[in-house]
Amino acid sequence: MQDDRRPVANDPRLAPVRHGLTVNGRSVAVEAAPGTRLLYVLRNDLALNGPKYGCGLGQCGSCTVLVDGRALRSCAIPVRAAVGRRITTLEGLGSGGRLHPVQEAFIAENAAQCGYCLNGMILTTVALLAANPDPSEAEIRSSLQANLCRCGTHIEILRAVRAAAARLRAARTGSDGGEA
Amino acid sequence: MTGHPAERRRHWQEAGDLLLVYRETMGRPPRLGDPPGAALAVGPQRELYLAVDGDGRVTAFNGHVDLGTGIRTALAQIVAEELDVPFDRVAMELGSTATAPDQGGTIASETIQIAAVPLRLAAATARRHLVEAASRRLNRGTTELAVEAGTVRVAAEPDRGVPYGDLVRGARTELTLDPDAPLKAVEDYTLVGTPVPRVDIRPKATGAWTYVHDVRVPGMLHGRVVRPPAPGVDSVVGGLLIGVDDSSVAHIPGLVAVVVEGDFVGIVAEREENAAEAARCLRATWRPVDGLPDLNRPEAALRDNPATPRRLLDRGDVERALAHARARLDRTYVWPYQMHGSIGPSCAVAAFRDGDLVVWSGTQNPHALRGDLALLLDLPEERIAIERHEAAGCYGRNCADDVAADAALLARAVGRPVRVQLTREQEHAWEPKGAAQVMDVRGGLDAEGGPAAYDFETRYPSNGAPTLALILTGKVEATPAVYPMGDRTAVPPYAFGHARVTVHDMPPIARASWLRGVSALPNTFAHESYIDELATAAGIDPIEYRLRYLDDPRAAALVRAVAERAAWVPHTRPGTHGGSGDILYGRGFAYAVYVHGPFPGKAAAWAAWVADVAVNRVTGEVAVTRVVVGQDSGLMINPDGVRHQIHGNVIQSTSRVLRESVGFDATGVTSREWGSYPILAFPQVPEIDVLMVPRQDQPPLGAGESASVPSAAAITNALFDATGIRFRELPLTADSVRAALNPPRIAGPDEPPRRRRGFLAGLFGAGAGMLALATTLMPWRPTYPSIERPDPAAYAAATIAQGRLVAAAGACLVCHAGPDRTSFAGGRGLETPFGLVYASNITPDPGAGIGAWSYPAFARAMREGVSRDGHHLYPAHPYPSFSGIAERDLQALYAYLMAQAPVAARAPETALRFPFSLRPLMAEWNALFHRPATVADPARGPDWNRGAYLVEALGHCAACHSPRNVLGAERRGAAHLGGGFADGWEAPALAGLSRAPLPWTEDDLFAYLRTGRSPRHGSAAGPMADVVASLGPLPDADIRAMAVYLASLAGEGPAPWPGRAVASAPPAASSLFQGACASCHEGGAGGDLVPLGLVTSLHSAHPDNLIQAILNGVAASAERFPTADPTAPPAAMPAFRETLTDGQVAEAAAYARARYAPGAPAWDGLEAAVARVRGLKPHAGL
Repeated sequence: MQDDRRPVANDPRLAPVRHGLTVNGRSVAVEAAPGTRLLYVLRNDLALNGPKYGCGLGQCGSCTVLVDGRALRSCAIPVRAAVGRRITTLEGLGSGGRLHPVQEAFIAENAAQCGYCLNGMILTTVALLAANPDPSEAEIRSSLQANLCRCGTHIEILRAVRAAAARLRAARTGSDGGEA
Repeated sequence: MTGHPAERRRHWQEAGDLLLVYRETMGRPPRLGDPPGAALAVGPQRELYLAVDGDGRVTAFNGHVDLGTGIRTALAQIVAEELDVPFDRVAMELGSTATAPDQGGTIASETIQIAAVPLRLAAATARRHLVEAASRRLNRGTTELAVEAGTVRVAAEPDRGVPYGDLVRGARTELTLDPDAPLKAVEDYTLVGTPVPRVDIRPKATGAWTYVHDVRVPGMLHGRVVRPPAPGVDSVVGGLLIGVDDSSVAHIPGLVAVVVEGDFVGIVAEREENAAEAARCLRATWRPVDGLPDLNRPEAALRDNPATPRRLLDRGDVERALAHARARLDRTYVWPYQMHGSIGPSCAVAAFRDGDLVVWSGTQNPHALRGDLALLLDLPEERIAIERHEAAGCYGRNCADDVAADAALLARAVGRPVRVQLTREQEHAWEPKGAAQVMDVRGGLDAEGGPAAYDFETRYPSNGAPTLALILTGKVEATPAVYPMGDRTAVPPYAFGHARVTVHDMPPIARASWLRGVSALPNTFAHESYIDELATAAGIDPIEYRLRYLDDPRAAALVRAVAERAAWVPHTRPGTHGGSGDILYGRGFAYAVYVHGPFPGKAAAWAAWVADVAVNRVTGEVAVTRVVVGQDSGLMINPDGVRHQIHGNVIQSTSRVLRESVGFDATGVTSREWGSYPILAFPQVPEIDVLMVPRQDQPPLGAGESASVPSAAAITNALFDATGIRFRELPLTADSVRAALNPPRIAGPDEPPRRRRGFLAGLFGAGAGMLALATTLMPWRPTYPSIERPDPAAYAAATIAQGRLVAAAGACLVCHAGPDRTSFAGGRGLETPFGLVYASNITPDPGAGIGAWSYPAFARAMREGVSRDGHHLYPAHPYPSFSGIAERDLQALYAYLMAQAPVAARAPETALRFPFSLRPLMAEWNALFHRPATVADPARGPDWNRGAYLVEALGHCAACHSPRNVLGAERRGAAHLGGGFADGWEAPALAGLSRAPLPWTEDDLFAYLRTGRSPRHGSAAGPMADVVASLGPLPDADIRAMAVYLASLAGEGPAPWPGRAVASAPPAASSLFQGACASCHEGGAGGDLVPLGLVTSLHSAHPDNLIQAILNGVAASAERFPTADPTAPPAAMPAFRETLTDGQVAEAAAYARARYAPGAPAWDGLEAAVARVRGLKPHAGL
């Protein structure tokens, strides 16, 4: 029975295949086995260091990326499933040479100690505020509850999320006013 | 910090246009575990602390590193202040052995208090030199000069000045640090004491920061390690490895090497995912290990651990005082094993160049690591450079050094740079734990209600955790050394007249080393709980009671300030905060000054807590709702940084007190992911009010750990206030608190375990009947002569194309794909109740396959289960269903198979258990059970009839979805399509009433069969995922026809549960489920998953499919299905086979069942079911 689990040469699941991806607005092609986790492709093939390996089990959130605007765990996404979707990493958040307001808020609040979880905190906040521009305290905490921080930076992070929400609302009001 | 370390070192040693300050010392700092005299034996040292270049830029060097505390910013503030240069002109180089001084490990909150002192003196030495140089240049006395922003000016003539850079250019000047260099007066500070923003946050928030995980060097390969099966127990390793089977990873693309040295096993591959896959597949054989004492309740194990008592204090006459005590109060406090839990598992990169080794590491002690690597690799230390990069926060010794040594071994073995990333499971299992600790206090009250005596003993089984590779390779003995580190803050802060303090020095049991607060945190838990107990016994307010015996004025001032800030109301008994409904409220106090370093140690910052708790008396859940925390840190370099450390300490220590305890079994650590080691998350974070005592005129004190130290006692004292119960053992999980609040009164009658009639009993009864039958029927059938393999060209392309659809509808490949997924090659074993049945090779190879089979031989095998040579096939081959296949389809299938590429590999022989091993018995089986499957009803229309044909004949759905009798025959009649098992997976009932919470409509069935997913029921997994994949080539019309037929079989409404109505209690919260599963299944981090409440497997009578999914994972829709549902989440479900124990999987499954299928009865015997499913060969997939 054991022998049946013995892998065999040239396992096609492990053979590299070309995948066209859209990452941070750019079209890129990578060659990897279809089941390769998107996290490895982003880090090792595209040299994007924002997403971090934390658990490989979808538990901690340090590998978070935006997939079509949603904050998902790249350690659980096979590269093949990322084809045809818009992938955004921490590096791709800003635009026009400016950081995203959520990044600015986290920097202003010094909302990191080691900063290893920061990627997931920022991207989860971006997705939250896109869906809910004025979240309550409970909603903020609940949306971040599966993003683990071990240094205990929660107080600063919560402050940064509230500040980011205010920045984004102010920006929106400003631009609405401009259009009116 | 860029460039090769040797080149950087040469630059600082040789370049011109530099002013450099060196410090001369005798010997290096002592290291824990040093032999006597080792530190001094290295002789005189001259190390660089500061450099100013010709542009006036300052580089400062420090041996301590930034563990995420912001020390890089604070040290730069100190240098900039003392030199009077703008903050942004100072760059810090921390912990690089090529350039930075050896100042010992970054431990014990010493960086600002101790390691920054020579840095400040170096800056003062440089400043004095520069001012003197300017004095000559400007022809003014030094007293007439002032420094402003890196320019020395004549105070009276602000236009006359000379920048530092001009003074430095043109020469290389080496100064020796002067311990008496004049220091700037604190009142003149403009930068120190201000909240300068941290320099590292912006790059970290943009992905531009280079953590050690992000280091890439040219030609770098990826490594993984395989650890011995004694997770987190280093004392048993060495000589455990029996062998490694290289062939088990021969299939891995880009595999470079399997490296074995003693018990060290590592893998190197070109790509990271392949290294990870290789480490998973590598078959290593180890000697079994067990025999660890129970460390989940560690008190007995610690008392049994051999120890040497060491007396730290003996004041007064303890025994006499105890004999005269008015009331005795003897107490024991128990602290559990805990872990650092760095969010990023440790990582390192190692590279050899010309025989010199460079290691990029997240170590907290670069110089000690260099010594370890020298020993490991038999290299002189000078040939090794440690480049220190930040890693995920660590709070003591995690696996950073271990992985550095792993990388060095692998880089040496393959002669190329190697990056090694530990897995989450490895970091959890092997990081040196914060040790369990047992504290005993003997004491009591004297006649006046004061403390009669204080006899304190503490046990702390921990040491420095030797770098793992040293033990694995046999360089260092596994026998653990004893470090005298249980003495931190072992002496209580109170002026007890009669006091005795004894620390029992002992070796580790599980691998352990220092973790934030070291032994001081548990020792203070005892001190501060005990004095609270004394105060209650004496009928005195606990803060007032403390102040009576606290003779340190700064401590007393802090205690008073915190009490006032929290609006503490003095009280003498618990219950003053009342409650509402099931919630009880309470408030507790604790104080500590953290004394660290070798006894008698140095005091870091003072800290005090007032904690507010809320307790649910029914569930036992404890919330810390608010903490008022005060700290006296002396001079604060960066008040924001100190506040940040206080917040971090409060949150982390609250997490440790409320939730954290490492799980063990007899082999080692069972907490190998975040579900089994839950930490505090955002919803549980308390409000924190920080009081920082302004003492800018006092020397700076360590602030990295102090605010953790009062945590446990403050919280348990608050819990006492709320409940009147003292908790002396941590953590305060809901289970332990509930048990204390609701002691069991009468043991309820145990429900008798439900037992199904043993499968074997039925088997043997029936088997006897079969043997009797065997004598009466002709078992053998004639052989069809072999033929030449038919020429595929003889078949029309349309016939072959039709055959392809028939093969798709029949999902032939689900069973007949080869182990390497070669089409139709067979050889894959299928789990059946009778043993492993191997699918045959059905490629047109004349020897191994069916190339020599004529069409009549093929048709007989398909319809009657008789092989060409006349032997009977096992009904794993579903010939009863296939007997209904239309002649035209069967011919097309034959043509299609004959057109395939022949594969010469023979499938293994099926060898079943007796009596199934007797193939001739299948003749009797056929006589009993073989009934051709034909379903037709002209009245139901063409779709229904087409669907019936596809489902019943070609699709042979009944082969899996009908129950089988004990002889392996599908049951008929009412049981037809009534649910069965296939390859270890349950195949749910298709006819009659379903257990699914929502009915399966025709559209649901269509979506499921077409895309593999019904948003109202869940996704196909296991063998069914392969079936859906196989159906891919069929036109929508055929899928629709199957859906029409299957929908017609469904009954109305959900199936009722037999027996009494179930009304199970709402499930207690499961921290395991919360940590391991909720991120995707409740939080949406996995994408649009089908809500668990709708997932069919959670509502089944059998837990098998849920267990299969947890153990083996579920691939993403896009990986499995040719026509994936575009709304299906892109994520796969990870496999938890390597991570969770049987008990943990059972806990998660039980919780999910109770929470999401509340109407269904609990599954019995879950843990045994998990063990059983784990033992099955995982379904291989297409």
